[in-house]
Amino acid sequence: MLTKTSAVCLRKPKPGVAGFDRFRLTGWAFASPGLLALAVVLGFPVIYALMLAFSSFTLMRPALAPFAGIDNFTSVLSDKAFWSAAWLTVKYSLITVAGEFIVGLGIALMLNRVVKTRPLYFALLTIPMAMSPVCVGLIWRMLLQPNLGIVNHLLESWGWPRVDWLGSPTLAFLTMAFIDIWQQMSFVVLILAAGLAALPREPYEAAEMDGARHWQQFWYITLPMLRPVAAITVVIQLINELRTYDLPYVLTRGGPGTATEVLSFFAYRRAFLGLSINEGAAAALALLLIVLAMTVVFFAMLERRR
Amino acid sequence: MLLKNKILCLSGLVMLSAAMGAQAKEVVLRALMEDVPETHIIEQMLPQFEQETGIKVQFEKIGYGDMHDKLVAQLIAPQSYYNLLEVDFLWAGEFPTANWLTDLTPLVKKSKFDTRAFIPSTVSLLNHDPEKLYILPMYNYSMGLIYRTDLLTDKTVAQLYQDATQKTLALPKTLEDYVTLAKFIKQKQGIAGAAMQGQRGDPNSMEFSNYLFAAGGEYLDGKNQVVLNSPAGKQALTLYVDAIKNAAQDGALSATLDDTMRLMCSGKAFSMITYWWMLPQLDNQKACPAVAGKLALAPMPGGHGESGGWGWGIPKNVSPEEKQAAWTFIQWVQSKHVETERALQGHAPVRADVYKDPAVLAKFPYYQTAEQVVATGKSFPIFTYSAQYEDVLGTQLSQVAGGNGSIDAALAESATQLEKLLKK
Repeated sequence: MLTKTSAVCLRKPKPGVAGFDRFRLTGWAFASPGLLALAVVLGFPVIYALMLAFSSFTLMRPALAPFAGIDNFTSVLSDKAFWSAAWLTVKYSLITVAGEFIVGLGIALMLNRVVKTRPLYFALLTIPMAMSPVCVGLIWRMLLQPNLGIVNHLLESWGWPRVDWLGSPTLAFLTMAFIDIWQQMSFVVLILAAGLAALPREPYEAAEMDGARHWQQFWYITLPMLRPVAAITVVIQLINELRTYDLPYVLTRGGPGTATEVLSFFAYRRAFLGLSINEGAAAALALLLIVLAMTVVFFAMLERRR
Repeated sequence: MLLKNKILCLSGLVMLSAAMGAQAKEVVLRALMEDVPETHIIEQMLPQFEQETGIKVQFEKIGYGDMHDKLVAQLIAPQSYYNLLEVDFLWAGEFPTANWLTDLTPLVKKSKFDTRAFIPSTVSLLNHDPEKLYILPMYNYSMGLIYRTDLLTDKTVAQLYQDATQKTLALPKTLEDYVTLAKFIKQKQGIAGAAMQGQRGDPNSMEFSNYLFAAGGEYLDGKNQVVLNSPAGKQALTLYVDAIKNAAQDGALSATLDDTMRLMCSGKAFSMITYWWMLPQLDNQKACPAVAGKLALAPMPGGHGESGGWGWGIPKNVSPEEKQAAWTFIQWVQSKHVETERALQGHAPVRADVYKDPAVLAKFPYYQTAEQVVATGKSFPIFTYSAQYEDVLGTQLSQVAGGNGSIDAALAESATQLEKLLKK
């Protein structure tokens, strides 16, 4: 039975000004302050970056005119370092997101069984997430210092050789990915744990009655039901990782060589070391396109599987 | 009651406006400073300046790597937050070209400040227009060799060295000898032969420059033509890569100046090519007991090292009152008596008279060697895109030292990129 209030809300709205009914106008009125704020904080920087990317604005000659057409894009895209950074960014994002998701899901599943001390675990897990990436980078840089750092000291005390965590071109990339996973994993754990807690109990009870094993319950019930939450988590983390800048800046400055030079760092180099804000903006827009493309592809894959 | 409230409000407003008026007149100098001993020395003396002039000074101390970007963001803004600038010689091409600095010439003339006392090379390092003075020298950072005297005079080490190389253990005279010795120390003594700052960018570019000048190479000739890709350049890069791989500490490719300092301080390295004024910081019983009393300074083996310097500048985008206050500070901090006081605490002078001061020489006899280091130093190419070239060169050095690519290719690419940036 409908209450009086809900009946009023469901009443068909009267037509209003210029084809808009009153109901829609009210909606727009409520949404407009938020939309305006979004237009200012999101729209303006994007539009300004677009203007910069097509301009001849450099720090030596800070003026938008003359219009540079696609010159900045041509200059950036013809640089081998751009493609190397783009590939590294994609590789880095996929590795870190996969790592965060797998480890995060494992921890979330374990926490799902804990009842009494769960708040304590959550509190501990949020510590890395609450830290700024710059602090995380500095702390890990000290821990991994090859000669005086505690990690190598421990390894040596156990009879193992010292490891050149950030000085070896191959290892620096993996070390950076590991540190990123360590920090970002807590976000994944919290979201997935919330998703797991919200799952209905009935399918599990039915499965238990049918004699399903734990892994079968996980595979055929938990994972499919968790998919919407997991998908959102993966997309958010993917966007985060594609934009990574702080860790390479603090840990390695993109080195050794270009082993950890991700696209955002490449854009920074162009803008502030090369003094070419226009080319930096072009590189940043290219990064934006990669982020959008990967997000769209991911959602399309999800839709197809639904 | 109402009247009492009104009187209270009125008196509050009067006091507030008076306070605001006073605040508007008071200039606070704000400078972004590199977090190095030189800054700490001046910082300790700031109360003296404040007492003498009534002008407050605030130092924001950060690592070198973050300074350029932070400053540029302020210099392109309508009003700069920093009204006193510490300018590296590497930016001395870029900042005046971009029209970000105030010409100090009128201020010098008006105040009759005597700039003749400054060592000419320290002034020309920072100023490229003979008609104008944008940057006044603050301190120099010429680079030399700091080494462990206890290891160099150890008889057992000497014997082992003789057996291994058929040479007498002595302070190396050439770059090749230095790398040979550093490799030997690492192999036989189990400590780094050279504490090296191989992180890409400013650290490895500065370090490599010493190798280049020591091997007899140059970036540019007298006609501003690029001559980096030469036999001397090749020898320098070959020895640099060899040193990183076989003489340096583990993780040298990610090490910065701070890392090398800590390593040397802990006694786990034989030598480091670094700024000469690092010696009093390391040869310090309290801070570095493992090496205090066992260190000495020498000019770079081969005769020439990298020479650089910092200077003071005033941004264009600050008020005339701030400019005047900044100039008052610059005159004070670079005056003879303040520089001498700073030198007595380990400052690297830019005034010739301070190097000859009896009190300074009595406390630090090695200032004579330091003067030699400064006199023989050569400069990294200074032009609008010096900071970018440091990054370009640093990438090539880091790649080849990390085992990617050949020495010939890295040298050729470094030379080509320098030509390209010079023409930009």
